Amino acid sequence: MAVNAARDLPKAAAAAAIVALAFLPMAKMPAFYESFIYLIFFWVSLSTSWALLSGFAGYFSLGHAAFFGVGVYTTAALTTQFGVPFLVTVPIAALLAALLAAGIGAVVFRLRRLRGELFALLTLAVTFVIATIILNTPIDGGGGVFMSAVPLPALMSTPTGTIYILGFAMCVLTLATAWWVVHSRLGLGLFAIHDDEDVAEAKGVPTFRYKIAAFALSAAIAGAVGGIHAMYVGFITVAGTFELTVGLYVVLMSVLGGARHWLGPAIGATAITALLYAFISGGEAIMGRAIVGLILIAAILWLPDGVIPAFQAWLKRRRVAPVATRAEVAPVVPTTAPQISEHSILQVRGVTKRFGGLQALAGVDLDVHEGEIFGLVGPNGSGKTTLINVISGFYPLSSGTITLDGAEIGRDPAHEIARRGVARTYQIPRPFANMTVLDNVALCATFGGPVRSKAEIRDEARHWIGFTGLGGKEDVLPAGLNLHERKFLELARALAARPKLLLLDEVLSGLNPTEIDNAIRLVRAIRAQGATIVFVEHLMRAVVELSDRVAVLNEGKLFALGKPREVMRDPRVVSIYLGKAYAA
Amino acid sequence: MPSGTLLGQALISGVLAGGMYGLLALGLSLSWGLLRLVNLSHFALAFLAAYLTYELGTTYHVAPWWAAAMVVPVMLMIGLAQHWLFDRFKVNELASLLITFSFAVILEVAIQLYWTADYRRFETHYSTMSIKVGAFYIPVLELALCMVAGVLAWGTWLWLRKTYVGKALRAAAEDADIAAAYGVDHKKLAYLLSGMGAAYAAIAGTFIALIATLAPAQIWAWLGVVFAVVIIGRLGNPLGALLAGMLIGASESIAMAIFAPAWAPVVSFSVLIAILLWDPEWL
Amino acid sequence: MLLEARNLHIGYGDATAIWDVSLDVDAGEIVSVIGPNGAGKTTLINAMAGLLRCRKGELRFDGTDMTSVRAHGYCGHGIALVPEGRRLFAKMSVEENLELGCYLAAARVHRQQSLDRVYGLFPILREKRNQPAGELSGGQQQMVAIGRALMARPRIVLFDEPSLGLAPTIVDDMFDIIARVRQDGAAVLLVEQNVLKALDVADRAYVLEQGRIVSTGLPADLLQQPHIREAYLGV
Repeated sequence: MAVNAARDLPKAAAAAAIVALAFLPMAKMPAFYESFIYLIFFWVSLSTSWALLSGFAGYFSLGHAAFFGVGVYTTAALTTQFGVPFLVTVPIAALLAALLAAGIGAVVFRLRRLRGELFALLTLAVTFVIATIILNTPIDGGGGVFMSAVPLPALMSTPTGTIYILGFAMCVLTLATAWWVVHSRLGLGLFAIHDDEDVAEAKGVPTFRYKIAAFALSAAIAGAVGGIHAMYVGFITVAGTFELTVGLYVVLMSVLGGARHWLGPAIGATAITALLYAFISGGEAIMGRAIVGLILIAAILWLPDGVIPAFQAWLKRRRVAPVATRAEVAPVVPTTAPQISEHSILQVRGVTKRFGGLQALAGVDLDVHEGEIFGLVGPNGSGKTTLINVISGFYPLSSGTITLDGAEIGRDPAHEIARRGVARTYQIPRPFANMTVLDNVALCATFGGPVRSKAEIRDEARHWIGFTGLGGKEDVLPAGLNLHERKFLELARALAARPKLLLLDEVLSGLNPTEIDNAIRLVRAIRAQGATIVFVEHLMRAVVELSDRVAVLNEGKLFALGKPREVMRDPRVVSIYLGKAYAA
Repeated sequence: MPSGTLLGQALISGVLAGGMYGLLALGLSLSWGLLRLVNLSHFALAFLAAYLTYELGTTYHVAPWWAAAMVVPVMLMIGLAQHWLFDRFKVNELASLLITFSFAVILEVAIQLYWTADYRRFETHYSTMSIKVGAFYIPVLELALCMVAGVLAWGTWLWLRKTYVGKALRAAAEDADIAAAYGVDHKKLAYLLSGMGAAYAAIAGTFIALIATLAPAQIWAWLGVVFAVVIIGRLGNPLGALLAGMLIGASESIAMAIFAPAWAPVVSFSVLIAILLWDPEWL
Repeated sequence: MLLEARNLHIGYGDATAIWDVSLDVDAGEIVSVIGPNGAGKTTLINAMAGLLRCRKGELRFDGTDMTSVRAHGYCGHGIALVPEGRRLFAKMSVEENLELGCYLAAARVHRQQSLDRVYGLFPILREKRNQPAGELSGGQQQMVAIGRALMARPRIVLFDEPSLGLAPTIVDDMFDIIARVRQDGAAVLLVEQNVLKALDVADRAYVLEQGRIVSTGLPADLLQQPHIREAYLGV
């Protein structure tokens, strides 16, 4: 009961707050307060919409004012020049802003390099260009737009009340959208993109589409907010609309509250707006700006993740830590005998890969049979990991074909290959750093495996966490795992996608002998579940012990292929490893 | 289409105005390119220096160059203090951008509290002086600015290229660990570079005081175009920054002469967007 | 002893990569550390160059305790690293890369003499001295990396996988150079996966596996050990 009360309390409080805020204009308070609360709604909506792309997926934009401004001017131009009713212009404003974002995204998101500060500056540049275009065309014309003649629908008894209720509706809609995104597939994918975009793609997240979707959604909300704000402002100028500080304030508000939490930007926006307003009403507006600046510097230095995550961490520390039941990492070993068919699940034909002047793969042909464990060895720089990267779609092929179960996959994007049943692990584990172990595995089940309900996915994720001996660690962040456990997390993530073909890149490196024995048993157990395994490994004892067949790569070519013991005794193979004299 | 003389005059004014972009871009380009710190407060420091020059000139009748000699050490200290904060908290690029933005806001407020939001103009007898070359007029102050910017950009470029310290800074920007393995104390050099950046801001500020009209909000006026200049000139390349500044200044000025003055901002950002899309490895 | 490591433990984050390793290099000696990939060779050598802190244990160079020296202080004591994957300053010219090697004042006064020596060893570098180092071929880049280390006039050179990614004939050249380095008076600590080459050039060798020294001795004796064959080939 107590637990339920604690869980339901926030919901009840939220519902009460929504109702109270909705009926506030009826209370006939002074217009001053309605304007003030409207401004809070305004900044909450704007900063939350910014966080949809920039906070969740980590693509920091400094150009949010562009989409907001497109919204402002859409409403301004349509109402004053074409007589379109104000309320009709708001969805149009949203649509135009979304189209602009999708257009920018379609170009920019194709380029891997345009992340981080470059994306931030590019969006800033777009803002200036749009502002200039609006300034110089009849949309504004340089003189500004007066909105006073535009009729405001009488939703409330006073104009400020109407603006208030529109801002309120927008704010609720925005927060609901943010909540929905966080709890949806889209949000899960965006968080993965934030932590490691390449891995997200390899695990089946359609990163390009998701980024565009988030960008468009973010811009649409900003556009709608701008449409409403045009009525609030009354007299619209380019300088006021596309002000640099708009784009920076949304960043600072979100970062202060916690840009990765759906409610974080709202907290930051409320705090900063209230603070600024307090100083304005006290006649000290400019001091307010300085204080906000100081607070932000302090927040970034001491609470880099924002208020909400810091608060959550504090709550967690206060709760009595459950007794850590450290499950031994010792997987169940199945008894079924391996079934290897002659059917080749993976066919690699004439595959080459060049990096500039370097020929990393110089025409490789391989067949991997269904159900076998296929070892891939060779000296450093022989192309093993490149081959894994090419099969999993991380690198595009230079030439050749790769077929999986008869279907050509050589030119598919990585997330498509992942969905067709190819999963991989990374030599140096690359977990999503801000997701728990459970979320890490659940993400891979969601995007790699068949479509299932959320509950089924959780069960599946828990199953593989237990299978790899990580039971009891579900709620731990990857940083709390040791190397051995992170390696097993890599395996659990790959398995959760229920792959037909599993590519293991040096799962044993860095492990101690006991851990290696565990891992070898685990790989056998995985095969017994019906997966085909290709593994790159340097530890020859394990290669000989595990593989049904071994391929040796040397200088980007297939050098030898066969039963492990025979291949590794082949004098030619010995010579590329140890030098000629040793082989003799 | 405007006349040839008009275009020529526009070109000259543009290049000279671009000298200011280049001078402001210099310090930014160094700290961003070589220290991976994006310093928005560079503009605020320049304006603080400008206001100090103005104050010294109008209240105490100190000549601008003597004012510069006094202001530069002050800005240097502020720059070092700011770098101490970055060093102490191991600030990354994005955090440095947010922190220096906040810092710039605080400086803007401080300026406004002391000098108010009114427009200020530091009139000297240089303000209206110009040299006539053929049909064209060259304002003396702008010319001096470009010469100073040229000397600083060229000198910094040579310093980075020819001295051990300069080479060490460039090496550390590529691979700080290996540079350290050969004895480069990156931490110390980073302070040096941050101090230099602040000193450049002070020099730019002196010219801002002489050439421009001062108002606290003007701090943000050049931010966009100067960032475009920094990127177009390639990060960490002082000569590139100055040349890009002059290029953008000239194109803006010509665009203004041919179309309308208000179209000018499109030029720099279109060039920037085109470069980033054409060659994302440009930086 | 010139370089003395006693019971070193080294790691990244929470993962320990080197457990309880002791190792010596005497002046004028070439010592090889061999072992399969992932054994911790690079971790070990990076710690000796000051790039990584040791968790536990002692590291002494010519009697000085190095564990309290900051990373940029190692070079001044006479330790120079030829890192894995070369890690040149790719945008800087070949000569600038070499000059970085003699950044410290003590080495800087011998700049011209050292440059002549490096260009004598690798004449091709003199031709390419104004080219960005990133545009050189793999073998030439390795030459720059070795040259950069020699410019520091070190008392010990730490080589990390000098044969990695190079064509066989160039690998032979690299090992000739390593022998030359010793003739010129510096000691060498070499970490290599090319077992035969590494043992061939060395006076003594250690075998590192999964972060521990499992065997040590003269190269000829180690070559006879079936254990090494097994570690590398699994048969």
